[in-house]
Amino acid sequence: MFTRRSARFGGALLLAIAVAATGCGTSESQDTEGETRVFAADNGEITIPADPQRVVATGYAVPALIEADAPLVGISTWKRGLPMMTKQDRARYDELEKVAGEQATETNYEAIAGADPDLIVIGVPQPVLGDIDVERLESIAPVVAIGPTVPSAWRENTKKQADAAGALAKFDETKSEYEGKAEELAGKYEDVLPDLKLAHVGSYGEVDSGNFQREFNDSWGTNVANDIGANYYGEVKEKGGGSQDVSEYPSIEELPSAFAEADAITYSVEADGTPPPAVQYVLDSELWKDLPAVKADKAFPIPLTEAATYRQAMQALDALDESLAPLLEK
Amino acid sequence: MISTETRPAPTSTARWHVAVLVGGFALLAAVAVVSIGIGAQAVPPMDVLRALVAPDGSANQLIVLEVRAPRALLAIGVGAALGVAGVLIQTLSRNALAEPGILGVSTGAGFAMTIGAALGGVASPAAELLVATLGAAGATLLVYAVGRTAPLRLVLTGVALSAVLSGISLGLRLMSPDVFDKYRFWSVGSLAGREQAPLLVPMLAIGLALVGALLLSRSLNAAALGEAVARTLGANIARVRLATLVLITVLAGAATAVAGPILFVGLIVPHVARRLARGSVPWLTGYALVLGPLLMLLADIGSRVLLPTGEVPVAIVTGFLGGPMLIWAVRKYGAGSL
Repeated sequence: MFTRRSARFGGALLLAIAVAATGCGTSESQDTEGETRVFAADNGEITIPADPQRVVATGYAVPALIEADAPLVGISTWKRGLPMMTKQDRARYDELEKVAGEQATETNYEAIAGADPDLIVIGVPQPVLGDIDVERLESIAPVVAIGPTVPSAWRENTKKQADAAGALAKFDETKSEYEGKAEELAGKYEDVLPDLKLAHVGSYGEVDSGNFQREFNDSWGTNVANDIGANYYGEVKEKGGGSQDVSEYPSIEELPSAFAEADAITYSVEADGTPPPAVQYVLDSELWKDLPAVKADKAFPIPLTEAATYRQAMQALDALDESLAPLLEK
Repeated sequence: MISTETRPAPTSTARWHVAVLVGGFALLAAVAVVSIGIGAQAVPPMDVLRALVAPDGSANQLIVLEVRAPRALLAIGVGAALGVAGVLIQTLSRNALAEPGILGVSTGAGFAMTIGAALGGVASPAAELLVATLGAAGATLLVYAVGRTAPLRLVLTGVALSAVLSGISLGLRLMSPDVFDKYRFWSVGSLAGREQAPLLVPMLAIGLALVGALLLSRSLNAAALGEAVARTLGANIARVRLATLVLITVLAGAATAVAGPILFVGLIVPHVARRLARGSVPWLTGYALVLGPLLMLLADIGSRVLLPTGEVPVAIVTGFLGGPMLIWAVRKYGAGSL
């Protein structure tokens, strides 16, 4: 029969096992202690290891830190980025332990503890951060949250993520490669692109029935094109912060007035060239077929608009070059 | 309790009904034109009229003809279908709180949409229509197979099946965020963005079912008196019940398939129509044929103008309108009028 004393002993034993299993024991923390620095993240000024050796990444930080060759020991799944991963990055993605799902709510705290990280980099938008028990993660390792704001901010965010993970060297190399390529294409299109008034139909976010997404400069479908001299005219009617500063969801009735001045229109498609349902709805509309740019045969599909790292953006540059090539012929 | 009084309609009463119905149809036509004139893009009234009588292909006229006119027609079809389906289910079940969804039509469609989304089979408007229709029909068939012996048993079976299907659907949606994403857009009934869907077949089905409901309404007069009396009057109750269920399934199933679940229209329209019909099921059906589309068009106009930030789904507006209207009807005429 259990006595109060034996129950107390059992409880203490269980606690000891749990502490050992989650890697929070005193001896282990002494092993990983070293130089630290203070890092400015979305969740405040965080003291992190100066040279982290075991990093867990989630969300947008996953492709960024794989590309930067960060010392990853666990990642969340990131299915949306798979079509844009190189073979090498995909192999790394496949071999890494998955410690969270696609959604922030699918974070597996025990798996993260089991990976024994010395740094956790969370790459989710600030509003989504509320779905994660950050305090619980902080009991495992220092947590830096670096999430997307406006779509074009991936440049700064990936740099911060790589910096936190101590992987800036490889990051800078890829960044230079991208900038060189963008400059080359900007030169190739300098006689046509800067003079065009462009408009973009997107498919990101919550496109309600009967609406379409219009993206302006610095949005998902436009920010890489901006780097080669493309200018998407106009601005949102009312800025709502984050991506709502650079994209809006008007009614399909407003399509003619929204795109009346556009010399050319680009629209988002999947990696295989298929328009997503929200874009297909616009393409099938009689109002679309009546637009001056469409009648002039100046509507161009743009794949890989969800590029959010420099290596992905290089693929997006190739895709843009292929899609916009007809502009050079006319 | 539903009034089941039947009496020979004197010629003057019939004339009164005809006059009210003609007035109702005229009002419906006027509201339909207003509905076509209102939208996110300002279109001058003359452009709206020109688009209807002599279209020249301008952008404004394309908006009227390609977006707003199909939407108004859809509102009329869905409103008529739900209103008349409400009359049929309330008369058949002799239950004033019955509405078409009580037989599991909406839940069946929603369940099928959830399964379809999980299997990746609802990638287009046509696929959505097909899947929702199959779900609605399947659920009603099951309800009929189990509860066909008595109206109360039918209703109880419908409620029970709805609970089971809702539970399974909810479980699936909670397990898969992708399925949840696809379902949530469909689950709030809306008339927006449906103009490209293949609506001809469902609208034809609704049209035929409405004609069927009008033809069946005289037999329903007898059924409304109760099974024993109806038998005494020579009515074939089993046949009437089966035909009514088929019509409810087609009407509510097609309406739910094209617009998603829209509550309250099938509940409130029969109550308002009943005040005018004076105990006659055929006139009740006729009034529902006008009032259903009228309510739906008004709700759809409301859905476009209520918020300065954009449109709200029409099902939310029918909920806002339907609740107070039901309370008003109960307060004005007493619960006995139900």
